[in-house]
Amino acid sequence: MNGSGAEPLLTVEHVTKSFGGVQAMRDGSFDLKRGEVVAIVGGNGAGKSTLAKIVSGAHVPDSGRICIKGVEVSRADHSVSHMQACGIEVVYQDLALVPNMTAPYNLFLGRIPRKWGLFVDEKKMRKKTREVLEQLNVTTVQDLSQPISSMSGGQQQSIAIGRAIAWGSDIVILDEPTAALGPNETAEVERLVEDVRDQHGTSFILISHNLDQVRRLADRIIVTHHGVTSREFKRDEITSDRLVKAITLGE
Amino acid sequence: MSDTATAQPFLTPERVEKLRDYVPFIAIALVILMFWAISGDRFMSVRNWTFIAQQTPVLLLLAFAQLMIVTTGSIDISIGSSLAFSAFLGALGMLWFGDVGLILGILAGGFVGMVNGCIISLLKIPSFVTTLAMLIIVRALVIIMSDGTSIYITADSGASGGNISSVAAPWLLSMGKFPAIFIIAAIVAFGMWVFYEKTVFGQQLRAVGGNEKVLRLVGINVTTFKIKVFAAAGLMVGLAACVNLARAGAATPQAGMMMELDAIAAVALGGTPLTGGYGSVVKTIIGALTLTIVRNGLTIAGVPPSWSQVALGLLLIAAIAISLNRSKIEVVK
Ligand SMILES: Nc1ncnc2c1ncn2[C@@H]1O[C@H](COP(=O)(O)OP(=O)(O)O)[C@@H](O)[C@H]1O
Ligand SMILES: [Mg+2]
Repeated sequence: MNGSGAEPLLTVEHVTKSFGGVQAMRDGSFDLKRGEVVAIVGGNGAGKSTLAKIVSGAHVPDSGRICIKGVEVSRADHSVSHMQACGIEVVYQDLALVPNMTAPYNLFLGRIPRKWGLFVDEKKMRKKTREVLEQLNVTTVQDLSQPISSMSGGQQQSIAIGRAIAWGSDIVILDEPTAALGPNETAEVERLVEDVRDQHGTSFILISHNLDQVRRLADRIIVTHHGVTSREFKRDEITSDRLVKAITLGE
Repeated sequence: MSDTATAQPFLTPERVEKLRDYVPFIAIALVILMFWAISGDRFMSVRNWTFIAQQTPVLLLLAFAQLMIVTTGSIDISIGSSLAFSAFLGALGMLWFGDVGLILGILAGGFVGMVNGCIISLLKIPSFVTTLAMLIIVRALVIIMSDGTSIYITADSGASGGNISSVAAPWLLSMGKFPAIFIIAAIVAFGMWVFYEKTVFGQQLRAVGGNEKVLRLVGINVTTFKIKVFAAAGLMVGLAACVNLARAGAATPQAGMMMELDAIAAVALGGTPLTGGYGSVVKTIIGALTLTIVRNGLTIAGVPPSWSQVALGLLLIAAIAISLNRSKIEVVK
């Protein structure tokens, strides 16, 4: 699948981000190739979500460089809509969806199709939602007029991931996608990631605390420690021991 | 455990949940039946229903304004003052520019709403505090501007003569009477339904009330959206002020006092949670009607006004206690 290999789809070089006195990201660097799953691991507060938000466009980095397909993203361009246009989508930790809205609305969040400039094109939204759910092999979501808060956690996460892949994006960032799910639902989400990668050649940035999951899915693993992307492992050179050591001690 | 299938209670949790949706409709039916039983034809007469149809529109439009804001999770308690301000500017507009000047009244409401929205969104001051301050400030402005006197709308052009505080506009007065005022309310209600249920803007009201942070993360500018919401609600208040000007035949400094509370009550009686994210135009219409009917019915039944206010307050608490699923509520603030 990932034959082209050579040139990375995304490179992040030495990005930093502070919030007031807190240096959430001190030195973040990694790259991502087409069809690759790169995991980012690290303790609580290590800066993983901050790094995800920088790449998604939600945070503008204080310094550093981001290149997509060889083109640098300038500071002035750095925004969610620009990153979306470059093919980057994200499923945020805890706040990926609007609970009181329907599945179609959430799938189209931020890009609601309009009729005559003002009105919601509900038909189009429902049709596309059915297509996406079918594509993901999600059969449990039937009633599209219910608020998603009435669905199970796994169903909600499927919609969130569906939202990220529905628009033909090249890179999907998943920030702790299974942290709130049970074992069956976790397996479902993992299957989804592999399917999408195999079928569409989509690249994933997977942030996770679940080291077994990371070893199942990721081609490479980046360890963040106190805001620094300190180590990188290939899939076959990882043992749990080394990973845990790297996460806790940063070495 | 074994024979639960045979002993199904009538009110299963799902049915109770469905039933909650109908509380506003059941409430209004009960209220009508009750007053019919108490007062008979004095309540159930064409004359009285014509009166109710004239009495509801101003409250209804204010409730629509409040519905937009409440759906986003904010509240606006300045709309009573804004109504007086808008009616005053509408009347002044007619003095200055003739009939078209009435538009100034609608714009004035939109302006007050926009100021509210800017303070809330840009200075990040909670809507309750902001609009409380505006309730006080705008009312004071009206009193300063009017010098405590009213501007009257008159039917007869001869009378206005040199008197600066009256405008001859018989057409406006006829707008404030039965079929016209009812037709205006019906048209606005239909427009509001389309706007609230079918437009992208209307859906976004609910989404902001549901989870504002998510919208910000997907790149929606919630700050300017909220300013637009308060401005749109303000325009609706301005429209209500013009209808009130037609109905009352005067712009008075005291107009609209306490109406902000009626508007909130109508929205709540319509089953809309004041915490945002949900709402219904149809049920808000029912809520506004219920409020008007209860007040009217109690008056006809000879209940003194103060006691009828007590009854209204109790009704409000009862309606919300029944229509909210309280087992799901974890925190009450
Ligand atoms: N918007 C923000 N404002 C202030 N501090 C923040 C913000 N976002 C993250 N932080 C801080 O930055 C650090 C890294 O946070 P985060 O990236 O969420 O870590 P992780 O996802 O690895 O647990 C934490 O100390 C956190 O408190
Ligand atoms: Mg995080």
